[in-house]
Amino acid sequence: MSTFEQPVTHQRRPARFVVFAIAVVVVMSGLTLRLSSMQLGGPAPGAPALPAVGETRNTALEPIASTRGLVYDRARRPLVENVPTFTVRIRPVDLPLSRRTEVVERLAGLLGTTSTALNTTLDAGSTSRFDAIAIARDVPEKTARLISEDGLTLPGVEVTVEPRREYLGGTVMTQIVGYTGALSAEGYTDLKAAGYLPDDRIGKAGVELSYEEELRGTYGTQRVEQDATGRRIRVVGVDTPPTAGSSLVLTIDTKEQRLAEKALKWGLEKAHLKRGAMVVLNPQTGEVLAMVSFPTYDANQFSKGITDAQFRKLLNNPNKPLINHAIGDIQPPGSTYKIVTGTAALAEKVITTSSTVTSKPYVQLGDTKFWEWNRAGWGPLTIYEGFGHSSDTYFYQLANRLGITRLAHWAKQLGFGQKSGIDLPYEAAGLVPTNDWKMNAYGQPIYPGEVLQAGIGQGYDLATVLQVANAYATLANGGKLYRPQVVREVLAPDGTVARPFKPDLIRKLKAPASVFTAMRKAARRVVTIRHTYNLVDLPIVVAGKTGTAEFGLRDKNGVLPYSHWFAGFVPKKAWKRDNPTGDVSKPDSQLAFCVFTYDSRTLGNVATEVAKYYLQLHFGIKRDYRLPELLKRTNFYQGRT
Amino acid sequence: MGVLRVERDATTGLAAKASGVAWRDYDVQLTVYAVLLAAIGLAMAYSHTTAQLGEALVAGSTFTRGLVWAGFALVAYAAATLFDYRWLRALTWPIYVVNLGLLAATLVLGDSDAASARWISVAGFQFQFSEIAKILMILVLARYLADREERLDSLGAILGACLVMGPPWILVLLQPDLGTSLVFLAILTGMLFMAGASLRWLGAMAVAAIAALPLVWTYVLHDYQRERLTSFLDPASDPLGAGFQLLTAQHAVASGGLLGAGLTNGAQNQSDLLPVQTTDFVFAILAEELGFIGCVVVFLLFAALIWRILAIAWRSRDPFGLMVGAGIASMVLFQLTVNIGMVLGIMPVTGIPLPFITHGGSSLLSVAIGLGVLQSVAIRQQRAEW
Repeated sequence: MSTFEQPVTHQRRPARFVVFAIAVVVVMSGLTLRLSSMQLGGPAPGAPALPAVGETRNTALEPIASTRGLVYDRARRPLVENVPTFTVRIRPVDLPLSRRTEVVERLAGLLGTTSTALNTTLDAGSTSRFDAIAIARDVPEKTARLISEDGLTLPGVEVTVEPRREYLGGTVMTQIVGYTGALSAEGYTDLKAAGYLPDDRIGKAGVELSYEEELRGTYGTQRVEQDATGRRIRVVGVDTPPTAGSSLVLTIDTKEQRLAEKALKWGLEKAHLKRGAMVVLNPQTGEVLAMVSFPTYDANQFSKGITDAQFRKLLNNPNKPLINHAIGDIQPPGSTYKIVTGTAALAEKVITTSSTVTSKPYVQLGDTKFWEWNRAGWGPLTIYEGFGHSSDTYFYQLANRLGITRLAHWAKQLGFGQKSGIDLPYEAAGLVPTNDWKMNAYGQPIYPGEVLQAGIGQGYDLATVLQVANAYATLANGGKLYRPQVVREVLAPDGTVARPFKPDLIRKLKAPASVFTAMRKAARRVVTIRHTYNLVDLPIVVAGKTGTAEFGLRDKNGVLPYSHWFAGFVPKKAWKRDNPTGDVSKPDSQLAFCVFTYDSRTLGNVATEVAKYYLQLHFGIKRDYRLPELLKRTNFYQGRT
Repeated sequence: MGVLRVERDATTGLAAKASGVAWRDYDVQLTVYAVLLAAIGLAMAYSHTTAQLGEALVAGSTFTRGLVWAGFALVAYAAATLFDYRWLRALTWPIYVVNLGLLAATLVLGDSDAASARWISVAGFQFQFSEIAKILMILVLARYLADREERLDSLGAILGACLVMGPPWILVLLQPDLGTSLVFLAILTGMLFMAGASLRWLGAMAVAAIAALPLVWTYVLHDYQRERLTSFLDPASDPLGAGFQLLTAQHAVASGGLLGAGLTNGAQNQSDLLPVQTTDFVFAILAEELGFIGCVVVFLLFAALIWRILAIAWRSRDPFGLMVGAGIASMVLFQLTVNIGMVLGIMPVTGIPLPFITHGGSSLLSVAIGLGVLQSVAIRQQRAEW
């Protein structure tokens, strides 16, 4: 047998073989070069130093939590502390799948829960197999010790000491301080870039939320050595140390806050009410001196991990304890809003301080009668008397002369219809009706009758307690609208003041000082005319305005439910012994406040009684001027405003 | 007469078959390099199993499964060598259709693992048909290009080859298996180049492909794919997230040094911290345990293997043999470049296995069949005469 080569049936291309061979050589040399620089050279520039061969070098990167900043009250009393607690976590990548069932069952036994619950947490919490998932927080120390000593039988399980926020201010500070909670999965997606971890905690309410960035600080990273089962043996080194968060000093003194709480609680209980709010401001700076909201809740419930049932109970409460009713709830402001109509009428020169407008039993517009609250009127009234008696027909006529545009302009000047910009989350803007707004919302213009309603804080007008308080603070300081603030200072981790307090003036109202002087006198007249019963008898000088604001739907007797308001201020010379004439002409007031009680159903104004009690407590007045009989429940509507 | 003619036909047929095989042309070196590389792969599987379970011969372990697959691969290699590759001409299009069917079946029936369906379980063994598809596509393309050898300076033949590659490529991309789809492209490019396709047209297509990259990036790739592709640029920017795997791998490589920690002694191997350390990132453990010298030996074995593949391709009288060689060489070169480059932090992270070393039966089987066909080519280049 002989063999012959087959004829070549195709063209061979040596050049392309050569090119391919060169490619092989280049690739191999490149990889060898890179490999030699990694394995034989020193550590690459900038890379963390690697241990040499032979050393235990089974290390992993771990975040180091920063210490969250604290919150202090105005007198530097701590309102929150970081309490160490034990957290049990599972790092899925370190837990071999074959041993998962056994490990989960053992853990469930130790933690007193079911393996189903643990498996659910494990599967739900995982965004990456490298991230440890917290499966139990606030574990008793004994259990934590048992788990961490049981290393070999529980691979991938870690016990860490973590601070939990313990709130010390009580429920009265909850709405201000807020609380921290677990970061949600969606939240993590948004905040991953900012250095948050999947099972991180984040401010959820109050200044814990609005000052999250300052409080949090920056996390660091460390290198830890692990054994074969993934359990950490020791910290090898810190790559970047964490930076502690800043602390906050509130403008609120706990003692002052407690006084406000005590007064409001008394009023609500006496009148059998559940819901109310109160704000006290320093009118010269915009500092919030007290802010109370009822009902409220316990922030520690959240920081300890609230149960589903507890949370549902809070959510389903019709009086909405989770809402800060001082800033997050909008209600018709009622007659307190006459400050807007009065200021606008004087500033726009629709009236002067000496001109009179005749109050009547009613004002008729077309077929509709707009009644005076006492269905009689008082005859011709100046602005002082009109405001003093809270005459509806007087202010109907002012509103009619002003028109909706000028009325809305001055409302906005005084801070209505917009967020005050307070450094707390979830503030509501309220509503000041304008023609444009109504065309947008209803496709109709504002009707003349609605203008009258808008002039007395009814109809479409909606405001927060803080907005009303701030409007009276603006009146009290002579026309300067400040942004209210609850945080006075931000402290660096070393305790030095990183950001001192600075009043934040939003605007100086463009009206002559005489307008505000006149309105302050008018507010004093409300008290001296005994529209507020015995408030005038207090040994201190108070000026203010009541409000009885109807809301909602008429009951079967045709009566609308109503809430009570009282907003006012106290001049610098508060005591009558220093200020026998009750002079409020100077823009030097030390306090401005607003009290709101929801769905009052009482004969007298609950809010006024609350304010009176608060002033008694604040000024340390021994004699008790309260009139509890005014807070008896009534089932008829008195028509009082 | 009729009987005689039948007899004569039968005689020539038999003679051609029997005498066409020249065993002295059998490329022993090719077999030796391939077996050595597969043995290193088995050694890595042994190391991992021992480090994890304390002993190697445990039913269902990485090592025992590796042994079984290696047996299958040897049988497939021998069978492909004995099979006369010229029969493949008739089988080209059936192979193509079967290939498409397997890939489509994977999409429909595949075991889902992390949002992509790539495996089909048959009798307890998981098959990754996209691996088998690589070698089947090399055979189909080889046939296609061999038949059009004279016309390869025209755009038509090049576009035709692209059209043949298109449907399986799309099916693989849909799984989604970005890595294998890139291997397909590398095979196509390598084969066109070695077949002598016009450089002008190849260049024009390369420019077009580069121009299309931004569109692919925006509309075709998934978020996780984009993240993996870019994390290699700066793994330290997200050391606990996307960069973890890379940092751990580079840590393992760097700790290997010149001689390595020794088989089964690697710290990363023992801790089982590195994800997919028996598959995509197996080279990191290899570098940790066998050191620089072990890695260079692996490089040299790969270089020698490619050299033998190219040699057989060169000696082939038949354009089909050249094409099969070009396809396999391109596949091996591309996979090893991307896989090792990824572990060394100079290539983006894609799920491309390292031929022979990566633990995975389908990949080994695929290469074994390819090399078997090549041996079949090598021993059938002599014509027998009486």
